Amino acid sequence: MNEDRSLYPEHDENGKPIIDLESHKFLKLWQGPQHPGITGNMSLELTVSGDEIVESKTHVGYLHRGFEKLLERRLFVQCMPTSIRLCVAEPDPNEYIVSTAVEELGGIEIPDNAKWLRMLSLEMARLQVLLRGVPGQAGTFALGLGYQWGNYLRDLILDSFEELTGGRVYHMYIIPGGVRGNLPEGFKGRMLEKLKLIDEFVVKIDKLIFQNVVFESRAKGLGHIPKEWVDKYGVYGPAARASGVMRDVRKTNPYLNYDQLDFEPHVTTEGDVYARSVVRYNDLQMTVDMIRQILDKMPDGGDIRAQTPNVLHWKIPKGETYVKCESSRGEYGMYFVTDGSDKPRRAHLKGPSYTHANALLDKLLINANIADTAAIMVSLATCPPEIER
Amino acid sequence: MNIKKLLTPFTAWGNVTKDPVTIKDPLNERPGADRYRGFHRNDVEACVGCGSCEDICENEAIDLMPAKDTKDGDSGLRPMIDYGRCCWCALCVDVCTTNSLTLSNEYTWISTDPEDFRYIPGIDKKEWDNNNDKGWKKPEPNYEFYPLKRIQPSHLSPEDRSDSFIEMMHGYSKDQAMQEADRCVECGICTATCPAHMGIPEYIKAIRNDDLEEGLRILYDTNPLPEICGRICTHKCETVCTIGHKGDPLSIRWLKRYIADQNPSERYKKILETENLVSKGKKVAIIGAGPSGLSAAHYLVQMGYEVKIFEKLAAAGGMMRYGIPSYRLPYDQIDKDIDYILSLGVDIQYNINVGNGEGEISLETLGNDYDAVFSGTGLHLGRSTGIPGSDNKHVYASPDLLRWIVEGKEFEVPENVVVIGGGNVAMDITRSMARLQMKKYGKVGVITTALEGEDKMPADREEIDEGREEGCIINPGWAPKSVEIDSNGVPTGLNVVKCHSLFDSEGRFNPQTDEDNKEFWPGTMIIESIGQGMDISYLDGKYKDQLEFGPRGRVQTDEYYQTGLPWLFMGGDIIKGPDVITGIATGHKAAVGIDRMLNPEF
Amino acid sequence: MQKGINNLIEKFGASDLVERRSGLSFITVDQTKAVAAITHLKDIDGYTVLSFITAADWIEDGKMQLTYMLNNPAEVAEIAIRVMLERKKEAGESMETIHHLWPNAKKWQQELKEMYGVDFPTSPGVNDSFILEGWDDMPPNRRDFDTKQYAEDTFFPRGGRVTHDPATYMREQLDPKDPQYYTKKKKKDINS
Repeated sequence: MNEDRSLYPEHDENGKPIIDLESHKFLKLWQGPQHPGITGNMSLELTVSGDEIVESKTHVGYLHRGFEKLLERRLFVQCMPTSIRLCVAEPDPNEYIVSTAVEELGGIEIPDNAKWLRMLSLEMARLQVLLRGVPGQAGTFALGLGYQWGNYLRDLILDSFEELTGGRVYHMYIIPGGVRGNLPEGFKGRMLEKLKLIDEFVVKIDKLIFQNVVFESRAKGLGHIPKEWVDKYGVYGPAARASGVMRDVRKTNPYLNYDQLDFEPHVTTEGDVYARSVVRYNDLQMTVDMIRQILDKMPDGGDIRAQTPNVLHWKIPKGETYVKCESSRGEYGMYFVTDGSDKPRRAHLKGPSYTHANALLDKLLINANIADTAAIMVSLATCPPEIER
Repeated sequence: MNIKKLLTPFTAWGNVTKDPVTIKDPLNERPGADRYRGFHRNDVEACVGCGSCEDICENEAIDLMPAKDTKDGDSGLRPMIDYGRCCWCALCVDVCTTNSLTLSNEYTWISTDPEDFRYIPGIDKKEWDNNNDKGWKKPEPNYEFYPLKRIQPSHLSPEDRSDSFIEMMHGYSKDQAMQEADRCVECGICTATCPAHMGIPEYIKAIRNDDLEEGLRILYDTNPLPEICGRICTHKCETVCTIGHKGDPLSIRWLKRYIADQNPSERYKKILETENLVSKGKKVAIIGAGPSGLSAAHYLVQMGYEVKIFEKLAAAGGMMRYGIPSYRLPYDQIDKDIDYILSLGVDIQYNINVGNGEGEISLETLGNDYDAVFSGTGLHLGRSTGIPGSDNKHVYASPDLLRWIVEGKEFEVPENVVVIGGGNVAMDITRSMARLQMKKYGKVGVITTALEGEDKMPADREEIDEGREEGCIINPGWAPKSVEIDSNGVPTGLNVVKCHSLFDSEGRFNPQTDEDNKEFWPGTMIIESIGQGMDISYLDGKYKDQLEFGPRGRVQTDEYYQTGLPWLFMGGDIIKGPDVITGIATGHKAAVGIDRMLNPEF
Repeated sequence: MQKGINNLIEKFGASDLVERRSGLSFITVDQTKAVAAITHLKDIDGYTVLSFITAADWIEDGKMQLTYMLNNPAEVAEIAIRVMLERKKEAGESMETIHHLWPNAKKWQQELKEMYGVDFPTSPGVNDSFILEGWDDMPPNRRDFDTKQYAEDTFFPRGGRVTHDPATYMREQLDPKDPQYYTKKKKKDINS
């Protein structure tokens, strides 16, 4: 078909496409709620012309459990088991932001040892996400092999989580006041062995994905986010850095002991799926390096938790705060309001998917191919639970 | 097209010759990690069923079910886990007051019956019960969900208090009380052990909420003498406090005192809503204005009875006033509690003895004039050891001396005193004599002994420690043999021999001594403080046959302290105890019994 | 003080400033001036990122708080604009839209309409359902919506569960004739 596709559909004077379904030139297509582009459930209501998308609308609500409202009924310590379920794939940032918000409003200073342990668990969480996410990007183009390899290594990191925290997926490790355990014996050595395997994996992945003509030809130029959109649409983390804007809370607003680590988040300017893959590929290597630095610099044992008031009736004076950290997807924050009682008045989770997968995705999908929706969604690391909470 | 990039991915074929990484038999080859949070285990012998696990469980997965015998400090309940709700967060483990609850690292379990997945760990036996070293335990170090260290109120230093009868313990400040109250987990295990079943978690919560008026109302529900009990209660509640399993038990007594201290007596009637009590016209007589009598009077007058107390001495309070030194319980605090009870309309006649002698009022008269009589006459007679020389006039009984100190009666304070006895009363007289000696001579010369060894002494630990701080020599584990008396008839000291054990193998009182290991302790005054006896001679006469007497001459009563004479109720130390809080409890229950008898419609 | 705060106070009469920590301030702006203040922050003071819009329900004060979290990436600073709306008993508070400043604002506004009942007239799709489907009860994030009651009415809890309060159970076991309840009942009787 050599026709100039930009002619379809025609646009009215406001720039809106004129879509007349009766004309049989357009088709409504539902993708989801089981969608290969996401962990979780979400639907895309696409209007296509041929195999090209002319209009997209996201539909969420398949995972709504009312977490924010549930937190309003829970003691501060009871918020933890609920809040970690806000994001299945990477629960640790939830633990961190809720705990930190409680500590900040409750006036608790945590021990230095606990700060390092928190950083370790946060970086391990990022690592396990990226081990699946980086090759997973290729998986959306049916290049599934790297994903299999990545999943094996991710399992090894989950084993480490199991050793450190007692849980594989929901770790319940960071808790108001500190963390729930020092490193088990021999943990460092085993972790460093696993990091060596990941180093090998990083080389193999490069050959498999980035030295791959299929991936390159499909990912380059796809889902382009111009630099100006970063602020306008609220683009965070790796996606923003792929469009030439430095966005990394660890660097801009250092929390815990991140200012003591040596790291430089990768920034590139192309702004397409390929660029985002490269940024996250660099993040993966950077995370491995950061875990090595953390293991090297952290103290050998020590206090794990500051004494809080009795958690069964800990009341926090009226106040509000916004605590954020860098998740693998970008800025991840908790707006927390207390009212003097033993339960939060309001807890609002702000995850990057909210802006990525709503207004921005609708925009990015226009003129994309039906087969490319998954790739674009994965490149934005969409996580529906943090949209509907 | 870039040929290199077309071919490079095919390097993945290099993996064809490598072994797969899959675990072939995960059920056997892959146990949970050492910290893995699997199914619950509970050491049911260590668990006391406090229910903190149930409180913290955000999923409401835990129920408390009867599983063991209920006894002091142990509710007999044990947690039952519903695995349909549990999310394995293990907060229940971290909050556990006894560290009995843990999670095993077992994560595989198959059953076709869903009801199986609701069980009481430790009671319903599971194969992972014995796998104690693996799984989730409360993290270490310094990881506590509630502070374990007690907040100590300030007190006078030994130097400042050793010659003074000024109250030595200062009350809690607001901050201190709030911090101490914060440590409570509200299990209520203490409530049943308290003889009066005070609403302890509730009034501690009132302190946390800074609602001390509500706190006072809760106190008066069960105890009309909170200023007094807030200072000298034997605080059995603190011995069973669940926080005491891992740390210091809550300072329940000082918290109670804090509530009472902070409420001014002028506001009591308003707070307690007792400004307009209505009389029902029936009359009750009470013999003795001690804890039990005052307690009975308080609850009876609240129920609408006309109450009159007959008191032998010149002031009300009984042993609380005449037996407890004022450095522990100042008189103005006794007055605060008692004046409130009297202000409710309780009539009191002082200096009148109930008995059959001249100038005394007889029990028969009371029985005729009143609809019911409550007697709480207490234990005022000192018991004697009966050792040679103990009949000397310089050998005293502690209740007499303590009363003389209160009454301000003059008596000789010698430089050296020997006290026989290891209970709280012995400590009271020891420390009172030490103060008098300090005033007179500038030094302390008291030596106190007890049959019991150091760790078995019945006195409160803090009493012993504080006595020693004040310069008293407390030397337990000796049996008195004889009082040495010189030619003038004045004692020169006490002969003692080492005492090894008090009870024989069958549990009978049978002290074993080592006659070769003996000492002589000089002292010109010997004080016996080995327990007190009662004087119930007022029962003699026509009623005696209608009463039943039990061991140690105590009158037998039913659970409402009603005797064989339907109109006669008895309580306090002569029936139960002895201690103040038991006296209060008996008085309260007897008041209920009297009301049930006089107003059977309820 | 953070960039922009002075302007907010002087030009827009902002009040109740709380500087939570370096680079994070909370400040209240009157409802009528809020959009102008936000526009000013975005266009003049460099607060170019809208982090989120959300609400907090102060039912006892009769206020519905809207919080606009604005981020200035260059200065590494955040300002949260609080707007205290008069809370209505049956929902339906109203606020001006800011979707013209940030296109994604329409989603938060749509969500606030659905979950809190705060309307943003002229915001695109504000009346479309966002998360809920076929919801006919009050907006569920309002404080007076009882989630537990809703769950109990809607779902079927597993039967046969009982529990015991340790304090009550122990008293029943150790002292069945506890005088307390009796006295309490009596006391009530006298006062009535």
